[in-house]
Amino acid sequence: MSSRHLWAITRKETLHIFRDRITFFLVILAPTILLFFMAYALSVEIKQVPIAVLDFDRSATSRTFINQITAGEDLALYAQVGTLYEIEDLLMRGKIKAALVIDPNYARDLGSMRGMPMQVIIDGTEPQSGGFAIDQISWRAEEFINQTLAAQIQALDPSLDDLQPIDLRVRTWYNPGLEPRVDLVPGLLSIVLGMPALSVALTISNEREHGTLEQLMATPVSRTELLLGKMIPYILVGMLNAVLIPIIAIIVFDIPFNGNFLLFFLLSTIFMFAILSLGIIVGVFMPTQPAALALSFLVIFFPGFFLTGIFFPIAAMPEIMRLEALALPGTHYAIITRGAFLTGVGLDVLWPYGVMLFVLGCSFVAVAAIFFRKKLG
Amino acid sequence: MWKSISRIKALSIKEFIHLRSDWWLPAFMLIGGAMELLLIGWATSRPITNLPVVVWDQDRSASSRALIQSLENTDTFALEVHLEDMDAISDRLDRGQINAALVIPPDFDRQLVSNGTPTLQLLLNGAESIAATNVLRTIEGLTRELGMQVTLQRLGLDSEDLAGFEPSLRVWFNEKLSEALYTTPAELGLMLEFTILLFAALTFSREKELGTLESLLVTPYTSLEIIIGKSIPVLLIGMADFIIMLAMIHFAFEVPIRGSLPLLLVLAFIYTLAVMGIGLVVSVTSNNQHQAFLLVMIIGFVDFMFTGYAAPVESMPEFLQLVAQVVPAHHWLAILRGIALKGADLSVLWPNVMALVILGLVIGTFSLRYVRRALE
Repeated sequence: MSSRHLWAITRKETLHIFRDRITFFLVILAPTILLFFMAYALSVEIKQVPIAVLDFDRSATSRTFINQITAGEDLALYAQVGTLYEIEDLLMRGKIKAALVIDPNYARDLGSMRGMPMQVIIDGTEPQSGGFAIDQISWRAEEFINQTLAAQIQALDPSLDDLQPIDLRVRTWYNPGLEPRVDLVPGLLSIVLGMPALSVALTISNEREHGTLEQLMATPVSRTELLLGKMIPYILVGMLNAVLIPIIAIIVFDIPFNGNFLLFFLLSTIFMFAILSLGIIVGVFMPTQPAALALSFLVIFFPGFFLTGIFFPIAAMPEIMRLEALALPGTHYAIITRGAFLTGVGLDVLWPYGVMLFVLGCSFVAVAAIFFRKKLG
Repeated sequence: MWKSISRIKALSIKEFIHLRSDWWLPAFMLIGGAMELLLIGWATSRPITNLPVVVWDQDRSASSRALIQSLENTDTFALEVHLEDMDAISDRLDRGQINAALVIPPDFDRQLVSNGTPTLQLLLNGAESIAATNVLRTIEGLTRELGMQVTLQRLGLDSEDLAGFEPSLRVWFNEKLSEALYTTPAELGLMLEFTILLFAALTFSREKELGTLESLLVTPYTSLEIIIGKSIPVLLIGMADFIIMLAMIHFAFEVPIRGSLPLLLVLAFIYTLAVMGIGLVVSVTSNNQHQAFLLVMIIGFVDFMFTGYAAPVESMPEFLQLVAQVVPAHHWLAILRGIALKGADLSVLWPNVMALVILGLVIGTFSLRYVRRALE
């Protein structure tokens, strides 16, 4: 491998990126813009979920309960309705996400400790607010039951002061509020920093589309030099982003950074190498840019989004998908970002993931080089 | 007029011939996209189980074993019961090997028997908040249940006595609480949106980059004919993609189609038109395919924000709720969920349908004029 050749290709590729100013800005800034929008969407706190109440009891007890449920920011009383039909209609229109139906015997049964006859109806199509409403209503219902029961139980046996005899003390490490934003934003880094991989796939298929790849192959530049030279400008862009994006995550989205930044930067560079190599395979395989893009979406973008354990825990996936996840650079990098941002662990914990990324990157480059020979040799 | 139609036909056929020689593209986008949706749906539309949790049982009594057994019975955890120490636990949390650790104190059984309040300690790994939240909910529910039983025993009551205190829960439109019903329509929406945007965005930017746009413009075709001829393949591919993916989630994940399928298809067509309009504007604005792709990524993600997959729109600030009203994907997801899952019809969905139709018309007209001007 000659550094002169490598430099020539790198320079040519850099000129390509710089030549068109809009493309240049987009290559540099697209990851930041994407992170900004996604992180913002994830920072939205679920609140003011609209619910309807159908109170058949109309007693003081039921009114107190309704007031307790809708106190606070979490649930908002959209309407107090008179019939089940109205609830069905509101749910259908998506005006409410849940409804509470209080039985006519509510106050009587609760008073005689026979039960708390009520029904919670939930919109089962809403991915976020439906489940949230379930949690909120059942939690508040339990609180209300406990308050009511505590009084009665103390009447039965004054020595019992607590209805809940087991004290569960929860301590959450690294993310005390269990806010999804805190771990999802670092997780998203693997998607946005992976963006240049799609660009690399495009530039290689671009050369094939324009027929300039043959010309390059006729020069003394070797295949590996060509592939690495194409990769280097994008690794540099990625490294710039690897500094820029964490700063935004820390300052704008208030994500803690507990690890060693230099180590994180180093591991990010290895990740960039791995994901860009995957982009190179795609570019070498596909003869035109639209085709390269289509394949990039299927092997880099969508799996990186859904199958690397950022949103859905890998442990809960079927076995085959867990194995597949190991072959995706994003899986390992997601662990690295969590380590660097949240748990603050060092190389002693993170080295296997760095090694894994390096091995993946090298094998991708090898596969790309073999394909390259077959396609053009 | 007749001439014009035959020209448009010729142009569409030319586009299809391009696609045929470049068969990767439709093949990957249609078959590959549907397979990918199957794979992603299969991996992510299941209850969250098998979460690695460690139990440090310092008590080793009948009560603690019963507690561990009930943890096992939830089927949520991959439990590991060890006689460990705090250092080992904190090390494994640091390494991210476990989602949580439950510490049962040495006096657990004694406290329970002697009317005391034993303390269970739960350490959660907040670095994986989704898994940790699941662990927390399950264990909270379990201790509450156990606590209730203990209280009843202490009072000398039967557990039957408090049976009426469970609030009864009914989940409408999703009786089996299938996760697939939450996730797959949104995943379908995301993939469809990117497919249409990409196809549309690459049409003119590709011709520009390859230098064939000029030669197309010097033909006797009017710009309107060119636009329509170029749009037809995009529309057909978008609709085919939608139908294949809809069939996929219907048959593979039992996502019902309770409402009118023809209505859904008509609205899907209007949505495809609107998204294609955006894509075509990107297409004539961009100098090359690379740039078109980068713009598509940004637009696609902004839209995705308003589909309710990551965060409900009702919880967003007022300003963004207004923005959501002009995002076609927002109304489209409401329509897709409404018709497929709720069996809603026009009498219910008309606000979203109106909005989508108006957006389709506005975006369509704007993009037509914009693209025409750009071509001339």
